[in-house]
Amino acid sequence: MSTTATPPTVPGNAVLIRRLFGLAWRYRLHCLQVLGIQLVLLTLGIGGLSFTGLGIDYIRHRIEKTPLAANHGQLALPEDWPPLQVLAMLAGLILVFALVRALLNYVYAVSVNRLVQQKLVVDLRGEVYDKLQQLSFRFFDANTTGSIITRVTGDVQSVRMFVDQVLIQSVIMVISLTAYIIYMASLSPTLTVACLATTPLLWLMAAWFSSRIQPEYARNRALVERLVQILAEGVQGIAVTKGFGREPEAQAKFDVANRECLEQQHGIFWRVSLFSPAVGFLTRINMMVLLGYGGWLVAHDRLPLGAGLVVFAGLLEQFSGQVNNVATIVNSVQQSLIGARRVFEILDAPVEVRSAPDAVRRPRLDGAVRFERVSFAYDGADTVVRDLDLDVRPGQCIAILGATGAGKSVLMSLIPRFFDPTAGRVLLDGIDVRRLHLDDVRRNIGLVFQESFLFSNTIAANIAFGHPDATRAQVERAARIAAAHDFITALPQGYDTVLGESGNSLSGGQRQRLAIARAVLLEPAILLLDDPTAAIDSETEHEIFEALDRAIAGRTTFIVAHRLSTLRRADVILVMEEGRIVQRGTHDELMRVPGPYLRVANLQLVDVRDLHLLGLAGGEGGA
Amino acid sequence: MSQPEKIRDLGLVRRSRDDDEDEEQFKPLEWGLIRRLFTYTAPVKGKVATLAVLTLIRSMQLPALAWVMSLIIKGPITARDFAGIGLGVAGYGLLAISTDLLFHFRQRYALEIGETVVHGLRAEIFAKTLRQPMGFFNRVKIGRIIGRVTSDVESVRVGIQDVLFVSVIQFGSMIFAAAVMLWSDWVLFLVVLALAPILWLINRHFRGKLSRYSRASSESFSRVTATLAESVNGIRVTQGFVRQETNAGLFRSLLADHARYNIALARTSAILTPLLELNSQFFVALLLLFGGWRVFHGDMATGSLITFFLLANQFFAPIAIIGNQYNQALMAMAGAERVFRLIDVVPDWTDDPAATDLPDPRIYHGAAATPPRNDHAGGVARAPVPENAGMRVEFRRVTFGYDPARPVLHDVSFVAEPGQTIALVGHTGSGKSSIINLVSKFYLPTQGEVLVDDREIRTVAGRSLHRQMGMVQQQNVLFSGTVLENIRLSRPEATDADVRAAAAALDCLDLLEALPAGLQTEVGEKGGGLSVGQRQLICFTRAMLANPRLVILDEATSSIDALTEARLQAALRRLLAGRTSLVVAHRLSTIRHADLVLVLDQGRIIERGTHATLLAARGQYAALYRQFVQVDDRA
Repeated sequence: MSTTATPPTVPGNAVLIRRLFGLAWRYRLHCLQVLGIQLVLLTLGIGGLSFTGLGIDYIRHRIEKTPLAANHGQLALPEDWPPLQVLAMLAGLILVFALVRALLNYVYAVSVNRLVQQKLVVDLRGEVYDKLQQLSFRFFDANTTGSIITRVTGDVQSVRMFVDQVLIQSVIMVISLTAYIIYMASLSPTLTVACLATTPLLWLMAAWFSSRIQPEYARNRALVERLVQILAEGVQGIAVTKGFGREPEAQAKFDVANRECLEQQHGIFWRVSLFSPAVGFLTRINMMVLLGYGGWLVAHDRLPLGAGLVVFAGLLEQFSGQVNNVATIVNSVQQSLIGARRVFEILDAPVEVRSAPDAVRRPRLDGAVRFERVSFAYDGADTVVRDLDLDVRPGQCIAILGATGAGKSVLMSLIPRFFDPTAGRVLLDGIDVRRLHLDDVRRNIGLVFQESFLFSNTIAANIAFGHPDATRAQVERAARIAAAHDFITALPQGYDTVLGESGNSLSGGQRQRLAIARAVLLEPAILLLDDPTAAIDSETEHEIFEALDRAIAGRTTFIVAHRLSTLRRADVILVMEEGRIVQRGTHDELMRVPGPYLRVANLQLVDVRDLHLLGLAGGEGGA
Repeated sequence: MSQPEKIRDLGLVRRSRDDDEDEEQFKPLEWGLIRRLFTYTAPVKGKVATLAVLTLIRSMQLPALAWVMSLIIKGPITARDFAGIGLGVAGYGLLAISTDLLFHFRQRYALEIGETVVHGLRAEIFAKTLRQPMGFFNRVKIGRIIGRVTSDVESVRVGIQDVLFVSVIQFGSMIFAAAVMLWSDWVLFLVVLALAPILWLINRHFRGKLSRYSRASSESFSRVTATLAESVNGIRVTQGFVRQETNAGLFRSLLADHARYNIALARTSAILTPLLELNSQFFVALLLLFGGWRVFHGDMATGSLITFFLLANQFFAPIAIIGNQYNQALMAMAGAERVFRLIDVVPDWTDDPAATDLPDPRIYHGAAATPPRNDHAGGVARAPVPENAGMRVEFRRVTFGYDPARPVLHDVSFVAEPGQTIALVGHTGSGKSSIINLVSKFYLPTQGEVLVDDREIRTVAGRSLHRQMGMVQQQNVLFSGTVLENIRLSRPEATDADVRAAAAALDCLDLLEALPAGLQTEVGEKGGGLSVGQRQLICFTRAMLANPRLVILDEATSSIDALTEARLQAALRRLLAGRTSLVVAHRLSTIRHADLVLVLDQGRIIERGTHATLLAARGQYAALYRQFVQVDDRA
């Protein structure tokens, strides 16, 4: 494995937070709107609560002749109204406030979701996806599919949490706590201080607890993931387990992992079950203070019962709700930082290959390929292609033979600019590929890989992948060239057959023929075939030769191959060793000289004896 | 909500709904299921009983707290009784301490019981799955089994740890609060009572809607992830065919589609929450007006009004909570039902209870395999292997079909004498793998007999046969873990030295030690980092370590570079030496060294003989062979 391209520059938290603020700034108007609604909601909530308290006081005032609104006379109730009318007015006000609140709450929830689900997440996911598609293959080799998917799904969610869970929630929390404190203080400053004395303690506890429990949860997730992995592998490798009669060992392995989950969970349960009652108790201490001290104040007529004590109890409840939010916000910060690091890693990754601004447009190429002293190395790693010269005329077929790591695939990837050479240059039709427009280069090149990836879509859509607007006639023509038309039409749904995930309903030979059809649909001047028969039974290999022969005809072709049956088809065979071309020539030429080609050929070539038995002996065997 | 379009063609990937098994989200409560679930709490029986008591107590504590508070306010505070206030607060404090102390146990026990059930279910799912014959694994998708162990078991957990206890507590709170309110003022309580069903109905209506939307949303999200997965896996194709912009457009439309469902979901919950709150405000307004009217008429004390203000919430809040728990319960039922359905799958067949172990003539010397000698590189001469002479395998008129109505093998008979190599040749689907599956006792023949060491395979205990077998599969299956662990899988009691000896016996120890961390190299996802050749070597060594009397080999099809290929062929010859082997052959060299080549076509043996005699016969085999070497092409 080559070392990864970009040196892992881990951005510090400060940098990340600055960038996250930058992200939020892009949505500032929306954020402000959301905050504005919250502010109105807060005022209405406090208003509604104080009307209730006022109502209680009014009833007491009427029945027990207690003084009304001792120190809270902003809203003087008309003394001359009949009592029920006063109550009806209060009840009406409460209802009106509640209705407006309900309406605003709805607007609030919808606009937060608009911001988050319709804008933030969609924008971010789209950006990450766009960027992913530009990245070089090395990124995809270095990361598992699962981890890349998580970046677009879970990690993006974590990033957006910074906006709606951290920023917006913090501002809301600060505003509401301030409002509650001011209102409570206006009722009774001393009671406010007494009741909120435990709050800092609560905050500390919540922060401490969350920092303690988060790693435990992370570990639990890891344990469960491992358990699922053991299960998945156990099922996928069931034939191995059963074949060696090792079911008890497989069971034991699972049981150990299962027990580990159980035991680790017990630790978590203990902590959680200590924390929540403790928080509950602290909140109740506030209530006790309220009842004791507040009751004493009421008894001394320094605080009204309704507008004072009852309202206070209500506010205190809201207050502790907001205080508990702190733990959530702290967690969200941590989580969004982790997510942000992974998302920004993709967004910041340099796009290694792109068109020059003044790129030459060349929609149709003739297919002349020239390598001039080309070397290539993944940065920092060993050179994989050294000082390579090659001149290919349009229409020639070049076969490449070599061991794993000899540089065959790299040589081919330099042509469509999946990588750029570190030294020397690659020319198409006499123009440096780096000066040509990237889209033109790639549209002129047809590709078939070792194991061709087909999408879970219809056969027609797969063939038309490079040219989605292709007509059915064009698709069928390509399929005919690739000797695929017959088996496709034999399928019940024909060209509209939807391939299962990774196209498993087709044989290897059929899949490769679809891949060839996909490549030739574009009528490319150049065809690159990376060991196209590798994943196919040798018995069915011949199925695709017909397709290959027709596809190759008239195009400049590069084909990586191991089997003589394929190598023989080439005009020129290149034998590569450690990034260099050590032999070049036709099959017949190379069979005449001792060297690596002859060695490989002999290994595969049938015994002359066999040929005699077949009655086919001729000038074949060579050695 | 009706979806006019079943599959929206959003381009890159098409995914039809997976509806071959009912995956419904909810299932009505079923007593049998609940009882069966509770059998899994047996290991913590004591805790279950304690928890039941704690739950009952707690259901009274919560409203009691509110009630005591109202008593203090309307009693000593209004009466300016300072000693009374102190006494009341002290009482409140005691109640609070006991409530929170009890809460610790109530929460911890519930969580532990939930985890115990989860643990038990997982263990049983795995054990029962492992016991299934191979046919099961070809039928059931792996995703389903994983789904049982993850999401379904989790919904059962929620059901066990929350639903029952939370519902009891909330219901108890309601009753207690109701009793206090009824006792304080029954007329006003009737008003409270009238509001309850409205609340319940609102809640039901929206919860149903919410779960439908959330299902639609998760479906649209699975389209997003499926597209994403294929975009990642198909990146080479995408870049090579310059499809980035088209794909990006399609992906954005998928995201927009997903957002649409999420907004619908958010809208619904944005109506429900304020509506519930509105309802309680409506009650407060009503209380003020109607309660005030009754107080003015002397029908009710001011203190009772305060009691109502404080306790009403204890009565209303549980309605929404219980409604929510009810939904969870239905989900738990659906999850439990699916889990039990998997657990209850009756195996198509099991070992005959009368089956006995296959006698094992091998003698262990504590060391690994008895290394075959190195002098048969030509493959013609076979090294005699004394103690562990191979197994005799015979097929007598065997007919077999995975579906008995559609046989894939017809009337197959052949004998593999001890030590012989049998090569199976034929097109895909000709029945090669089925023969191997029958010898391995992964399946039983529909008709005819398979004999191992002259015993009918049905009378042989499967595991005793497997312990004398060495299997190498086409896909070279490796498990995550080190290379060493992977090799040792075939004989867990083997020492490191045994493993090295086995590798040395195959003459490939140097290749394994050349891996980045030697035998300790970690094998990751998809055998990460290892080449096909290296993976195959590990599998060969694994089979070698078992010192098998019968080797079952499904040769890999993919071509390997020439140098490694030569080493592999040599290793293979060493592995097969002196053992009986059945090989699904893709390599010429293997076929040429076989003692018997069986040519299969559509489930029948159409030709048999050695490579040379078959070529001489110029039949199907010769034709196949000619195709293979492609001599007739572009000579």
